[in-house]
Amino acid sequence: MTPVLHDWVLDAGCYRVRLLASLLGADLDLRSVDVHPGDALRSEAFLLLNPAGTLPVMEVDGSVLTDGPACLTWLAATHDAGWLGDPSPGGRAALQHWLGVSHELAATLGAARPMDMLGASGDPRPLRLAGRGHLRRLDAALARGRWDGRAFLLGDRPTIADVACFPDVALAGDCGMSLDPYPSIRLWMRAVRGLPGFVPMPGIHPLHEASPFPEDARGSGADAARGTAA
Amino acid sequence: MRWTAVMLAADLPPGAAAGTTVDGTDLAVWRSASGAVHAWTDRCPHRGMRLSHGFVRGETLACIYHGWRYGTDGACRHIPAHPSLTPPKTIAATDHACREAGGLIWVGGTGEPPVIEHPHPVRSLEVAAPPEAVARAFGAAEGVRVLDLDGRAATLALQPVASAATRIHALCARPDDRLALSRALDARRARAEGDAA
Repeated sequence: MTPVLHDWVLDAGCYRVRLLASLLGADLDLRSVDVHPGDALRSEAFLLLNPAGTLPVMEVDGSVLTDGPACLTWLAATHDAGWLGDPSPGGRAALQHWLGVSHELAATLGAARPMDMLGASGDPRPLRLAGRGHLRRLDAALARGRWDGRAFLLGDRPTIADVACFPDVALAGDCGMSLDPYPSIRLWMRAVRGLPGFVPMPGIHPLHEASPFPEDARGSGADAARGTAA
Repeated sequence: MRWTAVMLAADLPPGAAAGTTVDGTDLAVWRSASGAVHAWTDRCPHRGMRLSHGFVRGETLACIYHGWRYGTDGACRHIPAHPSLTPPKTIAATDHACREAGGLIWVGGTGEPPVIEHPHPVRSLEVAAPPEAVARAFGAAEGVRVLDLDGRAATLALQPVASAATRIHALCARPDDRLALSRALDARRARAEGDAA
């Protein structure tokens, strides 16, 4: 049975499920939830589905998953367990570490974003400060990986750790956090955006560098000399 | 004019653009497919979008907003909404002096950038503290500083970003020192920021 994802296009937690499904080539049955301005997360119908009133919600095989990394784990385990990383003790521990960090990113940068974008109540400043600490540690960890030629969090291949952490980091600008100070994060985001099957969301654009100018793709002679990067 | 290091050269691969700031001036730094580096004012002449959000194809940087394309000299080459128009010469990104030397990308200077002895990039990090606190923790708040961090030799190139932000670009003599140096830099940053708080 195709998993049902209760989805909101602007929700970073839903996006990471859509992104992994696309990277895996897995089907999702998307059901759009009118979070804003409809306030549907507080509707009785939604609370009967998920009493926490949060997204994402994924219905699979008669059970309801209400945690982003849980949805990612289910999709990877049913399609390609390589996305769960190395099954050694160290690999499993590293995966849990970064899934935990993804929750922290959502609770800081992710929580500040609706305050800045939608006027949600709350003070984003302490959330940004805590989020900065996460960005700094992420950048340092990614720099350390790059010294050994590793582009992703758990090594030289992407895993659900990357997919889990990517959206709230990539959307940091929407809560007033520049990513300019984090070069290894920038290169990691570029690697994620360059993955086959990558899909964008509002605020996260595809890797335009990887495709030719439209007229070059059509083989127009006049412009073929411009921009020939693969 | 003195050169300011704005990033480690290894952090800007061919075909990439990145934003940075020197003394409050926002810059788009990019490297074309052929490997040449460029620094422009971070503003598209069309609608003011940050060019550092744009994308590099071949020897051009394109704005993310409406796709206006600029060549390595800064001149606008192509406007997608008017494909048959040859853009007037007056439409151009504002070019800043930019050099790659010693494993760093430098902007805004004249003559030769400083010689850097240490060949191995460690990482860059930003310190959110005023220059005096940065100087107390790292021995300088701008320019290039060679120092010994817990017995390991490092070169720090310091980039004044804003009144309470300095970026530090670190290189070292031996690859085996990178992890310890990275942690030592984090510890000194914590000291500088604690000092400033």
